[in-house]
Amino acid sequence: MAALIQSIVIQILITVIAVAGIYVLTGLTGMFSLGSAAFMAIGSYASGLLVVRLGLPVPVAFVLAIALSVLIGFIVGLPTVRLRRDYISLVTLGFGEAIIALLNSATTLTGGANGFAGIPRVVTLPVAIVSAVVVVALVAWFKTSKYGRQCIAVKGDELAAKAMGVNVPRVKMIAFLVSVAITSFAGCLYAFYITFVDPSTFGWKQSAEWVIMVFFGGANSLTGSIFGALFLGALPEVLRSLLTGLEQYRTIIYAVLVLLIINFKPSGVFGEWEITQLSPKNLAKRRARKAAAKSKKGGAQ
Amino acid sequence: MALLEVKNIYKSFGGVKAIQDFSLEANTGEIHGIIGPNGAGKTTIFNVISGVYPADEGSVHLDGQDVTKMEQYKITRLGMGRTFQNIRLFKGLTVLENVLCAFDPQSHYSLLGGLLPLPNRFKEEKRGREICEHHLETVGLQDYLDEKPENLSYGIQRRLEIARALTCNPKVLLLDEPAAGLNPTEVGELTELIQMLSSTMDLAILLIEHRLELVMSISHTIHVQNFGKTIAVGTPAEVQHNPEVIEAYLGKEDE
Amino acid sequence: MNILQIVQILINGLALGSVYALIATGFSVIFNVLKFSNFSHGALMTLSAFVGYFLAASQGMGLVPTILVSMVCGALVALLGELVAFRRITVRNSPNIYFFVSSITLGTLFEGIVTIWVGANFFSYPRFFPNPTIKLGDLTISTSSLIMFLLSAAALIILAFVIQKTKLGRALRSVSFDRDTSSLMGINVTRTIQFAFIVSGALAGLAGVFLGINYTLYPTLGSLVVKGFIASVIGGLGSLPGAVIGAVLLGLVETGLNYAGTLQGFGTSYTPVFTFLIMLVFLLVRPRGIAGSNIQEKA
Repeated sequence: MAALIQSIVIQILITVIAVAGIYVLTGLTGMFSLGSAAFMAIGSYASGLLVVRLGLPVPVAFVLAIALSVLIGFIVGLPTVRLRRDYISLVTLGFGEAIIALLNSATTLTGGANGFAGIPRVVTLPVAIVSAVVVVALVAWFKTSKYGRQCIAVKGDELAAKAMGVNVPRVKMIAFLVSVAITSFAGCLYAFYITFVDPSTFGWKQSAEWVIMVFFGGANSLTGSIFGALFLGALPEVLRSLLTGLEQYRTIIYAVLVLLIINFKPSGVFGEWEITQLSPKNLAKRRARKAAAKSKKGGAQ
Repeated sequence: MALLEVKNIYKSFGGVKAIQDFSLEANTGEIHGIIGPNGAGKTTIFNVISGVYPADEGSVHLDGQDVTKMEQYKITRLGMGRTFQNIRLFKGLTVLENVLCAFDPQSHYSLLGGLLPLPNRFKEEKRGREICEHHLETVGLQDYLDEKPENLSYGIQRRLEIARALTCNPKVLLLDEPAAGLNPTEVGELTELIQMLSSTMDLAILLIEHRLELVMSISHTIHVQNFGKTIAVGTPAEVQHNPEVIEAYLGKEDE
Repeated sequence: MNILQIVQILINGLALGSVYALIATGFSVIFNVLKFSNFSHGALMTLSAFVGYFLAASQGMGLVPTILVSMVCGALVALLGELVAFRRITVRNSPNIYFFVSSITLGTLFEGIVTIWVGANFFSYPRFFPNPTIKLGDLTISTSSLIMFLLSAAALIILAFVIQKTKLGRALRSVSFDRDTSSLMGINVTRTIQFAFIVSGALAGLAGVFLGINYTLYPTLGSLVVKGFIASVIGGLGSLPGAVIGAVLLGLVETGLNYAGTLQGFGTSYTPVFTFLIMLVFLLVRPRGIAGSNIQEKA
């Protein structure tokens, strides 16, 4: 039982990492990738192959796999970041399908549709927890940096952003590559936890599910997106324990929940709220502002 | 050579000739008013000058540099700031953050600093905040730093756009109908603000405006546009007495 | 490679391309009106094809009733989808982002329903044609390819006629151009958007049946919608003629690549990689596609 729970927790943490990457692209910058899972696949396969076939140390393999993903991401991003945002969804969708076709076909290297087995298990619960915390912290810092601000500006109004001197294609590219690096890292962890990867795991539906998690929790809130990953990630397990057979309705329950959210609370469960607003510093600031507003009102009377 | 030199620019959209042969020279300290009825191509002039789209013909020089075909963000960085007729603030950012966005392209820290709390990042963020707070104070918004702009009045949003434009360190400031939607008191305050900017900062200001009392009272030169063509250029007094202008534009006013 | 083989590839390519054209136009009709990429289109194809299979084909009815059932189902489900997933965000004038998420979610919902309904099994239509091939001199043409090509072409011609010549078509073009002004001019925008979804859904139903005939029916069949997307990117996002041209080109290129791949001994599995690269190059060289116009943002 404990082993089962541990396995579920590790997989949810890996989802949290991937969703943090999607948040940078979709939540902050307003772009949609349906090929994020393909970058996870590149991370999984590249790190796995480097360790199993070439005997590289695991950390080196992770770094190389992420670097490869970023390089490929750059090539995919180059023609798309200058265009309307619809293109990035369409192009990444095509890219995802191409990667899966490639993984299925290059049988000597990847094992094709039968999958690629024999990856050592090095990811334990502590590794997963530390990884998730570090990634979420990096993304939180990114959000409050000039880069995150420019991403939000680009999401809101590209033309106004350009008029303020923002190099819009560059900002989009940075967001895309940061997102690619994070999803690729999630892929590395996945491979070295599950020890077996096969192409069917990384279809566009996986990418879509992550986007849905971001929107469920709140596209404008990192806290919300992480909540979305935790909640919707845990949902199938909860359903399973409630009633056998219920988990096959997972995607339908997902979809209905999200349609309800989009229709009736489009900003997601958390809206723009961030957990950092609860920090003592911010609370003190708010109190001071409230007091100032009150005294102003009092003075006017 | 003048600070901003617009020479014989043309721009058409399909069959619509939005600008025909427009020229303008502006120097530091000057305020140029551009007036004309709706659809006269005024905003198109701003869009061409600031690089939203290039002119079909003619040239634009900013501080001696040819910016005719330059990308918009590069022109901004050379010293061009602008506001928009239909307020375009960034949703999801506070008042201060909106202005910071205009500082960010000038801020020096790498992506590593964007992902980690490095000392350099804090230094640059602090510098940016100081500059932006200064500009917000200039336009009188120091009390609204953490508010969301969409919750504030039209007048405040227009001022915020001006603060954001000032943060681009403009040599040329383009104001597109800054008084639209303001009440008479706010128009008065805005007039003072524009005059103050013009006298205290090293800028040339180009102003599109329908409120004639505002444009006429502060502009040094007025350009009157009608159907894409310039029908008169001169001081407010000269333009007001130009018969063609009276017929095309002023004559229709109720005042 | 002799002339006969080339003609053979051309014919197969055209047949494949015409099915892609159905997908691409169904997708573009919605893109034109609401300016978003409808990612539920693929799953709608699958759902309608399965409904056609169970209500008509497996009851022993022929190709035509199957197609009709699927088209009607596609139109009705699309209409329903518009109501539950897009109506409120359209009225609210929400940003593009919400349409994207809504359409993805709707697609997931459709696919989920199909998966629960039929399981992860493959189904194939009964043989609709007594003779699988037709011989024209030395040329062998598969009957299903020929029928698909003819029916797709007919559907596209009817569509072109409706859009160009009828009142509803004019309303559709007008709403695509400018929704607010159209509404001011007295056009019932909601009705027109519903009409677009009916057209798109019917096209999805037709395309679904053809894909099912080509590749058998399975719950993730809708993933083939990506071909329609690639075709409309190549043709020019938002242009109906562009979508058709792009689709036919894609069909020809894929058939050619498949043939070359088989000849070289590595089969057809690398074809998606090549088509993706072709799309990427297209976007670099001519981002607005073959027939698309440049969409300029208003300042």
